[in-house]
Amino acid sequence: MNRHVQPEDSDLYALGALDGEEKQALEAHVRLCAECAREVEAARQRVALLGLAAPAAAPAARVKEELLRRVRAERIPEMGRAVRDAEPRRGFGFGWLTPAFGVATVVFAALAGMFWMRDARDLQRIHALEGQLAEVQTRSQEIARASETTDKLLEMPGTKRVALLPMPGMGNGRGGVLYNAKMGMVACAGWLPAPPKGKSYQLWLVPMEGKPMPLHVFGNAEWTEPMAMHIAPGMEAKAFAVTEEPEGGMPWPTGPKVLAGAGE
Amino acid sequence: MTAPLQPVPDSALVERIMAGDEGALSALYDRYSGMLYAMLLRILKDTGAAEEVLQDLFLQLWRGAARFDASRGSLGGWLLVIGRNRALSRLRGKQRREILPDPEEFSFEAVPSSENLEDEAARMQLMNRLRGAMAALPAEQREAVELAYFEGMTQTEIAARTGSPLGTVKSRVRTAMQTLKQWFDDESTRSTRRL
Repeated sequence: MNRHVQPEDSDLYALGALDGEEKQALEAHVRLCAECAREVEAARQRVALLGLAAPAAAPAARVKEELLRRVRAERIPEMGRAVRDAEPRRGFGFGWLTPAFGVATVVFAALAGMFWMRDARDLQRIHALEGQLAEVQTRSQEIARASETTDKLLEMPGTKRVALLPMPGMGNGRGGVLYNAKMGMVACAGWLPAPPKGKSYQLWLVPMEGKPMPLHVFGNAEWTEPMAMHIAPGMEAKAFAVTEEPEGGMPWPTGPKVLAGAGE
Repeated sequence: MTAPLQPVPDSALVERIMAGDEGALSALYDRYSGMLYAMLLRILKDTGAAEEVLQDLFLQLWRGAARFDASRGSLGGWLLVIGRNRALSRLRGKQRREILPDPEEFSFEAVPSSENLEDEAARMQLMNRLRGAMAALPAEQREAVELAYFEGMTQTEIAARTGSPLGTVKSRVRTAMQTLKQWFDDESTRSTRRL
């Protein structure tokens, strides 16, 4: 096609209706003609608006929630990149969790105190609350430790990032790992749905040489909280992976990979 | 009487995304997810698949916001183009030759500004009027355009599907697109007058 593209042909092309020689001729011309290329791009956006004629529909609220979880999971590797670029940044994106758990601790403590003053019949409930309080305190300490580890990792030269991406057909989970081989420190955050009944997800470090090393066994619930681990200093990671294993974890990987990511 | 609140421009929200503000992404999702999901669902006819493509679209926006040049492009239009392309690719499968140009090659800079999609009221009005314009097309023309747009069919494939001669289908699609282009031109003029 040596002549310029006619406007209606641009629309037909943008619609995807052209085929065969007509399409090939138009594409050949557009590659050489900036004016017609602009016309085709304009047609593409104009034609795309026809999608607005589709019957109204709204996505479920959980779609947005899941999107934001995925975004948060991606932010960890971004922090790692910032470190490599010699622009140290503090915070891991979940530092706010520590004060949140602190508040929760105070609330639980206050509730426990109220119940204690009421009646001996509530003793059982108090014990239950105390148990929950202990769990919250333990988790709060773990999160604080993860936050501290992350801050250290972000400040240390040599910290690397690994994005944990879902394997094909294994859902929409996401994660990110920061690790420093010299310091022997690892921090991990992300999101995974609850594993199937009787199964656990398990995080592995795949060293440059040798067998995968188990790092962490996730609980039975959805994974949303960060965690910190220590490894033998000097151990370089080739990759990190999350596999599905029998409940409680295994000494070596036996199940399918759910998430995986290679070091840079 | 108070003036209606102006929506935060897409460009400002995109700048905030570039600074890592999840709230800005959330605002753009609230603004455009409805229109995108409706289109994706019409193409894919499967809520799960439509939701996946919708999420991936906004994730791409989160990762590639730096490519957006607000002075030259319409974010809503870009999302519609990429969303439709992805949905059709998924619908038709990877074994088929590519239907439309590679969406990854599509740049914000190449897209001229189009209809005002930022303002919810204007967007809803446009959607309603466009549905009216589509409904006003003769049934055969409307069917041909819908098969091309929502099912990714070429004129040859539409002819095979409908059992109509290829020349007739070409004529229907061409006439319908001319009518719609005139409608868009008129709409653009009306929008300019309203400003």
